[in-house]
Amino acid sequence: MDLRAGDSWGMLACLCAVLWHLPAVPALNRTGDPGPGPSIQKTYDLTRYLEHQLRSLAGTYLNYLGPPFNEPDFNPPRLGAETLPRATVNLDVWRSLNDKLRLTQNYEAYSHLLCYLRGLDRQAATAELRRSLAHFCTSLQGLLGSIAGVMAALGYPLPQPLPGTEPTRAPGPAHSDFLQKMDDFWLLKELQTWLWRSAKDFNRLKKKTQPPPAAVTLHLEAHGF
Amino acid sequence: MALFSAFQTIFLLALLSLKTYQSEVLSEPLSLAPESLEVSIDSARQCLHLQWSVHNLAYHQELKMVFQIEISRIKTSNVIWVENYSTTVKRNQVLRWSWESKLPLECAKHSVRMRGAVDDAQVPELRFWSNWTSWEEVDVQSSLGHDPLFVFPKDKLVEEGSSVTICYVSRSHQNNISCYLEGVRMHGEQLDPNVCVFHLKNVPFIRETGTNIYCKADRGDVIKGIVLFVSNLSSVFFVWPEVFEEPKDFSCETRDLKTLNCTWAPGSDAGLLTQLSQSYTLFESFSGKKTLCKHKSWCDWQVPPDSQEMYNFTLTAENYLRKRSVHLLFNLTHRVHPMAPFNVFVKNVSAANATMTWKVHSIGNYSTLLCQIELYGEGKVIQKQNVSVKVNGKHLMKKLEPSTEYAAQVRCANANHFWKWSEWTRRNFTTAEAAPSEAPDVWRNVKSVQGHCVVTLFWKPLSKLQANGKILFYNVVLENLDRPSTLKLLSIPAPANGTELTLDQCSYQIRVTANNSVGTSPASVIAVSGDPGNKEVEEERVRGTEDGFCLSWKPQPGDVTGYVVEWCERPGDPLCDLQWKNLGPNTTSTVVSSDAFRPGVRYNFRIYGISTERIPYLLEKKTGYSQELVPSDNPQVLMSNLTSYSFTLSWKDYAAESQPGFVRGYSLYLKSKAARCLPGSEKAVLSDDSICCKYKIDNPKQKTFVVENLQPASFYEFFLTPYTSVGEGPQGAFTKVTTPDEYSHILIRVILPMIFSILLIMILCYLKSQWMKEKCYPDIPDPYKSSVLSLIKSKENPRLTIMNVKDCIPDAIEVINKQEGTRKSLTETEPTKPTYLYLLPTEKSHSGPGPCICFENFTYNQAASDSASCGHVPVTPKAQPQLGLLTSSENGPKALGKNYVNSLGEIPAGETNLNYVSQLASPMCGDKSSLPTNPPEPALCSEYKTQMAIPMGLASPPSITLLDEGEHDH
Repeated sequence: MDLRAGDSWGMLACLCAVLWHLPAVPALNRTGDPGPGPSIQKTYDLTRYLEHQLRSLAGTYLNYLGPPFNEPDFNPPRLGAETLPRATVNLDVWRSLNDKLRLTQNYEAYSHLLCYLRGLDRQAATAELRRSLAHFCTSLQGLLGSIAGVMAALGYPLPQPLPGTEPTRAPGPAHSDFLQKMDDFWLLKELQTWLWRSAKDFNRLKKKTQPPPAAVTLHLEAHGF
Repeated sequence: MALFSAFQTIFLLALLSLKTYQSEVLSEPLSLAPESLEVSIDSARQCLHLQWSVHNLAYHQELKMVFQIEISRIKTSNVIWVENYSTTVKRNQVLRWSWESKLPLECAKHSVRMRGAVDDAQVPELRFWSNWTSWEEVDVQSSLGHDPLFVFPKDKLVEEGSSVTICYVSRSHQNNISCYLEGVRMHGEQLDPNVCVFHLKNVPFIRETGTNIYCKADRGDVIKGIVLFVSNLSSVFFVWPEVFEEPKDFSCETRDLKTLNCTWAPGSDAGLLTQLSQSYTLFESFSGKKTLCKHKSWCDWQVPPDSQEMYNFTLTAENYLRKRSVHLLFNLTHRVHPMAPFNVFVKNVSAANATMTWKVHSIGNYSTLLCQIELYGEGKVIQKQNVSVKVNGKHLMKKLEPSTEYAAQVRCANANHFWKWSEWTRRNFTTAEAAPSEAPDVWRNVKSVQGHCVVTLFWKPLSKLQANGKILFYNVVLENLDRPSTLKLLSIPAPANGTELTLDQCSYQIRVTANNSVGTSPASVIAVSGDPGNKEVEEERVRGTEDGFCLSWKPQPGDVTGYVVEWCERPGDPLCDLQWKNLGPNTTSTVVSSDAFRPGVRYNFRIYGISTERIPYLLEKKTGYSQELVPSDNPQVLMSNLTSYSFTLSWKDYAAESQPGFVRGYSLYLKSKAARCLPGSEKAVLSDDSICCKYKIDNPKQKTFVVENLQPASFYEFFLTPYTSVGEGPQGAFTKVTTPDEYSHILIRVILPMIFSILLIMILCYLKSQWMKEKCYPDIPDPYKSSVLSLIKSKENPRLTIMNVKDCIPDAIEVINKQEGTRKSLTETEPTKPTYLYLLPTEKSHSGPGPCICFENFTYNQAASDSASCGHVPVTPKAQPQLGLLTSSENGPKALGKNYVNSLGEIPAGETNLNYVSQLASPMCGDKSSLPTNPPEPALCSEYKTQMAIPMGLASPPSITLLDEGEHDH
């Protein structure tokens, strides 16, 4: 490699500049409090893990309900599942959500879903299914705790549940068993969608809270390289 | 009766004729037609419920009628069901009839009409049908709502194998609806353009969550479905057995004659299949009343005030699939379960009696209750009594113990028709105290301390039955037997169980009484005499068992009022925990047992006889173990008298008495290389499988043992352990011993005294070293240290000094041609071959003629010494080196020559050919200060055969001459 004298001086200047600006790089300037970064990462990891866990649980549960609920292309209308928190949202709206709103929506959604899921657990007839549901409920409770932790780290208050609006799964006499199965189907489907969305949410949050990796490069360019 | 029938017939005929007349007038047929027909539906059960009445009947008239019912579907011309229903009809009675449709009622419009006819033999002339009622239409579809699609029936529960009809109702004509059973498309029958019916036959059980049936429109987002729950007979029976079981343990009773409480065994929850949950209905046939029970296991029924006695209950348990009933017929008064007695009191409680009073709830004006009273003492029923009671009850409880806690309880039942006892009502009470009934059991221990008699009194606390209350104190009265009028009273507070008395003499009678708040117990008398009774009695061994020690003694010839056996429960403890047992005068044996007896502890028993004066005296001593154990430790064995053939073992310090069993003897184990055991021993195998010889010492008092017949210079190992009746002591380490050689002891007997003697001599020599030195090797006198020096100095003659050896200038001595064997005296001369000793000056710097002395070996030339020049001095063979002072030259040789002459005459023959020259040089003669520091230098004399350099400070050679100081200075 042919290096001219000018290049050598340039590289030296560059090296000096890098060393000069090293303390300014946020990633290298961490002293003490690691911030919400690690807990966001953990929450993200947990959503991915729950996605995986739910895939297995939903398969078992939908088989337990029987066809057509376990058919892959079954896509019934959301008739009785209106009370379930809806995960699907317009992309622009999703992008425009601020961190607090994003986290609040997640927290509220999982609070509601967890309540419905516990109702599912109580009704399941087989012990094995009850075990799986109880295990998943515990994991989901953990996710809820993680989101609360992230919110606390970022200084956001937890949303307070309105009194008397505790969602319950109460099949009344007018609520037929078939509709109940539809609700169960939608509960699992919404849960899956929410976990997928949460992964995106936390990935976005993760990127926002992480230091920009291009900081050093920018300085190098500023010195005329 | 016949008259009444005839009258009734006439009345009916008259009525009918009147009706006929009216019909003729109004052109309408006269009939008993059903009226007020109403049709209701039960969608879940797919039932049509019809109710109607017949108005045209006379009061109190009952007629058997038949009603024909027609049910049409969709349109009235399509009659699907015709049924005749026969029943007895009263005027204005509401008649009911139900019909279950196979097709869900929502699937099609249904219409119902009916007509009636008298079917009574009494009025055969009226047996014709009335007119049809108008069609009653049942159209559920109109009330379904506005959903585009419906599927019926909703979530039905059927048994496995049954047939089910399903339909969908679509609101849109354009939509193509397809329906699926478990994902498989079904093909049905189009009932009308909007309704399609599917007939499912022999439905199987698929899963617990039901069989899913759904329909969806090919356009739009419409999907509707139902779940068909199919009960698997085996699983339902397993999970919900009560489905097929009638209620069990159905029973009714009343407690207050106002309410009947009926109970039965409840079933478990039906779980997922809510349709299988049961409902219970209670129906009483005499009154015709019915109630739906709110609870799963019991129901209350209000007893009417008209005092109905008989009841016939039917309990119906019902669920979606089945219905089960049980019946119960009873008289109300036979099912009275009285309430628990109230106002229960225990009054007038004395030491022996108490009265219990109570009240009962009335169960009717003429009913009597049987009440049962139970008296509990210490948790057990001690009295039981039945009493008949109307309202108030009273019972006297007798034969109670003083100061005792009791519990009295009462319960009642219907005396005429027993059904059930009421609950108990209980009261606790305690009887009053009475004076103690028994004298305390007293024993004593007498010791003599410094001339005084120390009596320790012990007494056992009175039992609850004897104490009759709380013992407050014990009175001890001492009466001096020598002076009977002298009494001394001691009062000891209650928890104490003994006291110590120091008496000036030992003849006392002691009376002990126990006292409670009411009175005093009888006195317990014991006497102590001057003789403590601890005479030496031989101790006898007894063998203990699990049940205790069986002790027996010889009966005493004299008057004995009783015997006392005394022992310590904790023998090693200073407190001892003294126990005693009183026995009658005719008893000569007893078994002493105690929970405190422990295996391996030696217990000592003393048996006393009690004289008529109440004085105890020792009869016998016994000792034993409740259970003997193996010895806990082995003796420390000392070995002595070790010889080549034997050694002696002794273990005199071993305390055999402190072992947890009687030591019966000792076992000595001896290991040796010899294959055979010595006489008196036998082979034994140890726990480690090693084989050794065992000596058995049967006498436990033998504490020494001589092991004999050993081999000299042999290695032995021994181990001694005691044994009791149970076994030997713990396995311990073997002690090693080697027998000495046969002669070694002799050697020891010789060598040891020798060593001792030598040591003694050495010590003596050391102590008397000065004497020895003087005697054996006295010091050579040192002239410088001589007292003469001080003498010289005192004469103040500085010129006088002592000549040093070094002051002498050595000369050469040459011996020439000395004839062998010639030994001449000093007087003989040999002119031809003289032998010369040359004494030459060696110091060149010597100014004047040195003090050289020439010796000729034949003569001593005095003149030479006088001349100042060097000359030959003839030296005789016997010439002696002389040490001496010039002032006493004549005496010197005499004084010292004796010790220091090395006579030439001692030279053996044959050595005379030697040419011997000796040189000693002194650099500066007469210089005292330099004398010790200048080493000798070799002289320059020639013809030296041998040279010797003599170091300073050694003994001077024989040629040393002490010179005059004046000459020395030259």
